[in-house]
Amino acid sequence: MKELEPVVFVIDDEALIRDGIQSLIRSIGLRAETFASARDFMAAKRPDAPACLVLDVRMPGLSGLDLQRQLSDAHIHIPIIFITGHGDIPMTVRAMKDGAMEFLTKPVRGQDLLDAVQKAIAYDRGLRKERAELMEMRNRFNSLTPRETEVLKLVVAGLLNKQIADELGMSELTVKTHRAHVMEKTKAESLAHLVRMAERIRNASASKYPSPPKAG
Amino acid sequence: MSTVLTTSTRLRGPARYGLAIALVSAALILSLVLRVPFGNPFWFFFSVAVIVTTWFAGRGPGWVAVGLSTLAALYYFIPPVNSFAVKPADVPFFLSFVACEAVANWLISWQKNAEDALRRARDELEVRVGERTVELKNANDALVKQMAEQRRTEEALQRTRTELARVVRITTIGELTASIAHEVNQPLAAVVANADACVAWLGLEWPNLVEARAAAERTIQGATRASEVIIRIRSLINKAAPERAQVQLNGVIEETVTLADRQASRNNISIALELEPDLPHVPGDKIQLQQVILNLIMNGIESMTGVTGRSRLLLIRTSVVGDGEVCVSIKDNGIGVSDEVMPRLFEPFFTTRSQGIGMGLAISRSIVEAHGGRLWAESTVNQGSVFQFTLPGEGGPNP
Repeated sequence: MKELEPVVFVIDDEALIRDGIQSLIRSIGLRAETFASARDFMAAKRPDAPACLVLDVRMPGLSGLDLQRQLSDAHIHIPIIFITGHGDIPMTVRAMKDGAMEFLTKPVRGQDLLDAVQKAIAYDRGLRKERAELMEMRNRFNSLTPRETEVLKLVVAGLLNKQIADELGMSELTVKTHRAHVMEKTKAESLAHLVRMAERIRNASASKYPSPPKAG
Repeated sequence: MSTVLTTSTRLRGPARYGLAIALVSAALILSLVLRVPFGNPFWFFFSVAVIVTTWFAGRGPGWVAVGLSTLAALYYFIPPVNSFAVKPADVPFFLSFVACEAVANWLISWQKNAEDALRRARDELEVRVGERTVELKNANDALVKQMAEQRRTEEALQRTRTELARVVRITTIGELTASIAHEVNQPLAAVVANADACVAWLGLEWPNLVEARAAAERTIQGATRASEVIIRIRSLINKAAPERAQVQLNGVIEETVTLADRQASRNNISIALELEPDLPHVPGDKIQLQQVILNLIMNGIESMTGVTGRSRLLLIRTSVVGDGEVCVSIKDNGIGVSDEVMPRLFEPFFTTRSQGIGMGLAISRSIVEAHGGRLWAESTVNQGSVFQFTLPGEGGPNP
């Protein structure tokens, strides 16, 4: 997958602020797209590229915090930099808990915003890389046959071949063959590596932020 | 003439009788003295005495003069002389003398009395006219004083009302603080963002002047807008005497809505405007009319904050009604006003809100009425209210 040019989404109901922030971001050579409302942003087609969101907390209609919720519910993970007129503590706490990258108060100093944007994009880049790895890993694990998956589960649980053979009612040799296939298909370099990968997939599935849909 | 009339020519008291005696005596002496060279008799002196006595002393002394003259004539002039006896041949002459004297006395006194009565009547009239003139003048002075007093009271009332309106305005502005802070902060944020962008474009190795210029222009726009907001707020707070100008209400409404917009959107309320494009100007004080509109908008917002289950909408409409009157209606779909509350709605210090001094509607009504208009409300509980006011338009009937 070839990586696209990073993009910064700017959502603010105030045209002058929107244009100012866009101009500022473009001045450091980044692409910036502006939206007058959260709804417009949701409706727009977004490129699959490292991105971050510069978002005014208080907007008529869908507020910044509402948008954060909606994105999170839709499993869209874009780092968000919030901008607020006067951030009260409960609001800040809520936003940070829901994974906001940064919380800047208006009027924002240009350099602060640019730093936050750079940081957010780097973070998103990392996140995307991680997600891609995870995805690939999962694809590898998904290519296992049901029998191999059963063997994998017991291997990861720390059972010996003999114990696995007993558990699944097969010969130790068959277990060894399945195990070799598992190591091969998942590209595990060692038993420890296999266990780590399995762990990672399990954690990702159990976490609040599951991996993006297959299409991504 | 008035001096003659007002000066009494009549003697008073016993002196009147003295005059009778003195004049008759004088007539007697003259008649006796003149009898020697001119012969007998010189009656007319007695007539003069009687006439003069009656004229100056009145009828009573006149009769005394008649009596004395008769006796004197009887004694000194009617033969036989120096006795009170009368010869039969002289009786007619003597009686006619007495009769003449009596008639003279009666006529003179009658005329004198008539004249005196007339004079008294005139004097009285004069006095009465004088008195009435003084009374009228006093009444007039009192009236002038009263009018000045009333004007002062009215001026004081007007000043109080203006001041009260301002206080209420400041209270309303106070309720809008968050909204106003945002209203100022937004353009300032734009100024900072654009100025930063401008500096960034200029700081490049190859400065991008086109971008820098565009950013600088947006900076100017932002700063201008911030200062406009400040001016708008200041004009609402300032202590300025009300002034009459031609006010374009549509513009005032749009300006006011920008002040309350935030307050509305924070409460998920949308404000819709349906403004008549050909609305006549209204003669009046812009700030005060803006206050009325702001107050009604704030009330509408307030009434909708607790509403659930329907979208919250504040509709502001202007129209022309009747003979060139301008009508502004502000309609909400809030909680409405109950029938118990409705009659007290415009009373001063009446409020259903926990904060608020209950002066908003009272002041609004007094402002509208001072502009020659009417302000009223219609409401259905749980459906919403409509507040409307009319104002005489330019060229229409003025207050």
